[in-house]
Amino acid sequence: MQKFISSSPEETEAVAEKLACTLKGTEIIAMFGGLGAGKTAFTRGLARGLGIDEGVSSPTFALVNEYSGKFNLYHFDMYRVGSWDDLYSTGFFDYQDNGIMIIEWSENIIEFLPENHITVTINTLDENTREIIIDGTNISQI
Amino acid sequence: MKILAIDTSASPVSAALLCDGRLLGEFYLNIKTTHSQTLMPIVSNLLSSGRIDINDIDVFAVNAGPGSFTGVRIGVASVKGMAMPLDKPCAGVSTLESMAYSLPYSDGIVCAVMDARCSQVYNALFRLNNSSVERITEDRAISIDELEKDLEFYDETVYLAGDGADICFQAFGEKLENVVLTPVNIRYQHAYGTAAAAEIMAKENRLCTPAQLMPIYLRLPQAERELKAKQEKLKKGEMQE
Repeated sequence: MQKFISSSPEETEAVAEKLACTLKGTEIIAMFGGLGAGKTAFTRGLARGLGIDEGVSSPTFALVNEYSGKFNLYHFDMYRVGSWDDLYSTGFFDYQDNGIMIIEWSENIIEFLPENHITVTINTLDENTREIIIDGTNISQI
Repeated sequence: MKILAIDTSASPVSAALLCDGRLLGEFYLNIKTTHSQTLMPIVSNLLSSGRIDINDIDVFAVNAGPGSFTGVRIGVASVKGMAMPLDKPCAGVSTLESMAYSLPYSDGIVCAVMDARCSQVYNALFRLNNSSVERITEDRAISIDELEKDLEFYDETVYLAGDGADICFQAFGEKLENVVLTPVNIRYQHAYGTAAAAEIMAKENRLCTPAQLMPIYLRLPQAERELKAKQEKLKKGEMQE
C-alpha cells in the first residue's frame, strides 16, 4: 500500500500518470472517494500516461467512456448502478480482459470486482488537499 | 430443411449451415474482436462459399443466452434482422443446450458451464443416451460450490463443457473422479450445436417468429444478495478502508 498527498488536481493527475506507467493492459482499477475528491482528475492523468490525448470527462450519464491509447481504457461510473442486473447490462463483464478498466463509485459494485484489482482511495483532507492511497500494485517498480 | 445458426454468446463467434442433418459448413473464430465486426462477414462468406442463397434458408437459429450481455444481443438482433424481411421462423436456442448437442458421442452427463464471473456459473445438465440429448435441469445461475454438490448425485461420466469448464475442473475435478474435461475442439459452444438443437425444435414445433425471438438472461441471485448486504454495511460505515 502506498500513500501520496496531493495539493492540487495537477498533482493528483501526476500520481495517476505514474500508475499508468506500471500497467500491463488488463488491470481493473477501482476508485473510492466522494464527490469532488478528484476521481475524474485521476483518470485524466492515467489516460495521459497511456498516451490518450482526448479530453477525459466523467461518464456519469454514458456509464462508460472508451479511449484508445497504448491500451484500451474503459472509464466506468457506477454512481447509478445499484444491482447485478444494472451492472450486467452496462456490459461490464464483456469489457474485462480487453483493456484497462478504471471505475468511479466502485462502492456500488464492490462484490463484483475480481480479486486482483487495484484500489485507489482518495480521501479529502481539506479543500485542496487529498490523500491518495493505492493498494494492489506497487508504482515505484517502474 | 436448411438451418443457418449463429453463436456470439461469449468470446468465440461461429456460424453453421445444416441441411437435413448434414453439416454443410461452419466458420469459427475465437480472436477477441467484437462480434459486431466479425459476425456478418462470417455469415456472408459461409453462405457464398456454401453456395446457399439466404432466401433458401428455412430456419434461422441463434444461441439466445445465457451469455455475455453484448454478445447475446448481437446474436439475437442479427438473426431477427435476417429472418424478419424473409418472414422465416427462428429458433432461440439455449447456449448451454447447444453445447450438449455438440457432444453426443458417448453416454453420460453433459455439464455445460459458462463463467458468469463472481464465482458463479451459468449451468444446465443433460443426459446423453443413444446420441439423444435429454435435459435434466433448467438453465440456471449457481455458485461453483452448489454445482459440485449437485454433481455428487451422479455416478455416470460427467463431461464438462463451456468456458466455465476449466474453473470447475480446477475446483472439483480431483474430488469427483467421474468428472472429465472435454477436448478443446468441442469444449466451447459451436453454431453446429445450435443448428442441431434447432432441428429438434423444428420437429417439435417449438420455433418462433422473428418478433417473438428474445434474449435469455439469467440472474445471479446469490451475487445480488451479497451485494445488497455489502452496500448496507458500507452505508453504515463499517467498511472504511
